[in-house]
Amino acid sequence: MIWPVAVALAVAALSGLLVVLSRDPKRQVFALAANGLVLAVVFFLLRAPDVALSEIAVGSAITPFLFLVTLSAIAMNRTRS
Amino acid sequence: MNGRWRLALLALAALLLAPLIWSVASALPPFGAPEAAYGPAVNALLPGARNVSNMVAAVNFDVRGIDTLGEESMLLCAVVGAVVLLRGRRGEDRGDRAGRVPGRPIVERDDATILACRIAALLVLLFGAYVALHGTVTPGGGFQGGAIAASGLLLVYPGEDYSCWRALVPGTVLTVIEGAGALIFVLAAALPLAGGHAALANILPLGTWKDLYSGGVMVVVNFAVALAVVGGFGLLLIEFMEETRAPEEDPVPDEEDR
Amino acid sequence: MTSLPWLAALPWLAAAWLFAIGVYGVVTSRHYVHLIGCLSVCQSSTYMLLLGVGFRRGAGPPIFYDHPPGTPAVDPVMQALVLTDIVVGAAVTALLLVIALQVHKRCGLVDPQRLRPLRGPK
Repeated sequence: MIWPVAVALAVAALSGLLVVLSRDPKRQVFALAANGLVLAVVFFLLRAPDVALSEIAVGSAITPFLFLVTLSAIAMNRTRS
Repeated sequence: MNGRWRLALLALAALLLAPLIWSVASALPPFGAPEAAYGPAVNALLPGARNVSNMVAAVNFDVRGIDTLGEESMLLCAVVGAVVLLRGRRGEDRGDRAGRVPGRPIVERDDATILACRIAALLVLLFGAYVALHGTVTPGGGFQGGAIAASGLLLVYPGEDYSCWRALVPGTVLTVIEGAGALIFVLAAALPLAGGHAALANILPLGTWKDLYSGGVMVVVNFAVALAVVGGFGLLLIEFMEETRAPEEDPVPDEEDR
Repeated sequence: MTSLPWLAALPWLAAAWLFAIGVYGVVTSRHYVHLIGCLSVCQSSTYMLLLGVGFRRGAGPPIFYDHPPGTPAVDPVMQALVLTDIVVGAAVTALLLVIALQVHKRCGLVDPQRLRPLRGPK
């Protein structure tokens, strides 16, 4: 019963790589949200439902929102100055 | 130093550390067969000692509760720091008009979005409250429930326009909630000291197994953590969103604002 | 482990890999917000390491609501550590984003390789 965990760990390593390789920050936001979901699945398979709940809420909802708002504020500031 | 030197140093560090990482990875206990003794001791002793069924919450709020107190204060300090930095630059007024980037189209909110987000926000807030209240019984707790409720607060924004969102999710109320959460936690840790027990000692009646009230002081601490997390994350969302509003000296554009 | 030997060290190697590419992303980043995203990849490597240490084969989650206490369960202390870790990560990310925004407002630049240390008032 360890193969799902192994596959999930490999997918998480891949999604982390995708986050780093998305150089455009606007694309990286979606890679971060996907990474949060993949990590939540990994945590669930590692028998940690509390941690999976926390990761979904923080890593896929709140953190990408903060990134998007920061990018938007940077774009607005750039046109203003 | 420029980028090439930095990459060369990184490659050198990776080359030096790789055999060390490999030797550590092979020396750690094999995956699936841990050798630690603290975890199994907690699993064996705590259901009887505290009448709770969620061991992670028991460790977080009771056995290692002072750790969580430090982490709550860290969250408080981070939120205070972010708010001070943002408001120090921008001032404390609320911007009434959305900031505009010339060249980007202004997309009107769709009715389907508004309806879906209004329903979803209520459901998510309710789910967050459920998860937070059931912290000592089923997977959940103050952190998870607070984070889910904060994302529910965020869902209110696509369902209403900005000024309505700011009226529904007031900043002062969130500040009070966050401070109250931190204060309740500190009191729960300090009041047993005044009574002659250890800090964060469980002095309340322990409650019944699998009931919402189980674990004694753990229920109070769970509630405090949920309040602090909702207030902290909600404040962050509000202050960040305020950054995208146009300052007062910008000229008013012709189209309608949202 | 009766199966392949590298399976016994998989979470540690995956965590080391994630940390390594996170640091690579930080070093070669050209945008501050991208740098903060790579930092969060470094943080996720610690989550994986901690939860991997606590995992026990054939055990369930450390919640004894459906199963009576005494059924094999994974380590709850590691999960408590990772919970704290996630909240700390979110708070640090928020603060770093605020700092990136303030840097852009002050210097107009958002490229970490072109920024010079800020000078105080003379």
